[in-house]
Amino acid sequence: MDRNQIGKWLKNPGKMANKYSFHVVYFCTGCGIIEIPPSITTRWDAERFGIIPVATPRQANLFLITGYVSTKTLKAIIRTYEQMPEPKYTVAFGSCPINGGMYYDSYNTIKSLDKYIPVDGYIAGCMPRPEAIFIGVTHLWKLIDMDKADGYKRYREDYEFYRENQEQLFGELDWPPLFKNKSS
Amino acid sequence: MNIIAMFISPLIALITGMFFLGIFRKIMARLQWRYGPPVIQPVIDVIRSFSQMSISHGSLFDFGIILSLTGSFVLILFLPIGELCPFTSGGLIAFIYLMLLDPLGMALSGAAAANPNSSIGISRKFLLSLAYEVPLLLVLLAVMTRYNTISLVEIVKIQASTGWAFGSWTLVLSGIAYFLILPAILGVRPFEVVKASQEISSGPIAEFGGKHLAFSTLQHALHMFVGLALFVDIFLGGWTLFGLLDPLSGTVWAVILGIVIFLLKMIVVLVIEIFINAVYPRYRIEQAMKYLWKWPTLISFIGLIIVVLAN
Repeated sequence: MDRNQIGKWLKNPGKMANKYSFHVVYFCTGCGIIEIPPSITTRWDAERFGIIPVATPRQANLFLITGYVSTKTLKAIIRTYEQMPEPKYTVAFGSCPINGGMYYDSYNTIKSLDKYIPVDGYIAGCMPRPEAIFIGVTHLWKLIDMDKADGYKRYREDYEFYRENQEQLFGELDWPPLFKNKSS
Repeated sequence: MNIIAMFISPLIALITGMFFLGIFRKIMARLQWRYGPPVIQPVIDVIRSFSQMSISHGSLFDFGIILSLTGSFVLILFLPIGELCPFTSGGLIAFIYLMLLDPLGMALSGAAAANPNSSIGISRKFLLSLAYEVPLLLVLLAVMTRYNTISLVEIVKIQASTGWAFGSWTLVLSGIAYFLILPAILGVRPFEVVKASQEISSGPIAEFGGKHLAFSTLQHALHMFVGLALFVDIFLGGWTLFGLLDPLSGTVWAVILGIVIFLLKMIVVLVIEIFINAVYPRYRIEQAMKYLWKWPTLISFIGLIIVVLAN
């Protein structure tokens, strides 16, 4: 911890603590998960940034989606995301969640994850190396500092848009809406 | 004085408990050749958890974790931290009763959460506490018989004149038995069965988020403090250190230095526990029970017989 950040800590301890303690839910889709074990273990040691993997979404505040998202796993991703307590941040890892990547013409792969849940940042590459994860984390720190990592707020505000997209894909969803409609 | 001690001793326990969690993670990281998190990382985590929105599963869910935390706080009032001890009466008997509040509160919360992982975690927690309380009772019985008192303060004072209980031939077996069950009391490997995050998604706290998670971390820190402090008080002579503080006795400095010595002894025991945690894998629950009911129970029973014969 930096000494010249004490003012920031006193001003908004919740925000600063959110910055320096990312408890991560790794959503192990596709090949991206291969890069996670080296980054959390001895060689690259994510714990020095305060990043540790947790077992349940209830305890987490960072959601890392590693690799391509098929239509079937998107359902699980949405439910996991909705179970996380706010404030929560999403980072998509690899080029597949951005635009489909090498699965750009696949019939059952999501091309753009941002249409279904809000994504705060992308780590591009196929595959990104573990160093890229840490650069991504420092960028996320900057975004949190500037209050631009507001995915959970966007999800709350534009919930109708996201829900509509989800329903368009799956037909009828078998869970109730997370937030009430503004009109009703 | 008593009123001040009532506020100060839980505060000391809370701060040092969080510090223990911090050095636990740091030393584990250094043992695995990592750089590791800063020592205040658990405090940052707790602040983060408090700032997050928490999801409640009903009033029993909230009540259980509060009960568990309160139980740990009350337990500390019966524990001499240095020469600070708010409740000198009751002693070990009250201690044995209150130690049950920790798994009980967790069980209430976990049952209200209705998550299968937390149900498995709770059943493991109860089985484990059942397993370590048999040797623990035998150990405490041996100590009470040897020193002919139930008061923890008295036990420390007798040790100041006759030497540490761990060094006397009558109580050394009880001390070894307590040391063998100490990982089970602290919930570290090889007895990390309750919070096994790789197999049952961190067990009883699987549904805890936000404030509930923060409370459960604080409770874990306090529980760690209690387990270590009981060992130091009973077997390692509490705040005394070979008569080093005798010339100062009666002054404020004696109280402060007594607390420092007490905490240093606790850190030594904790570091040994961390080494054990780093080396061993995790038992399954039935292996843990088999072990705890065999060796520590046997050793503490022999220790009790020796104490009864020697008295």
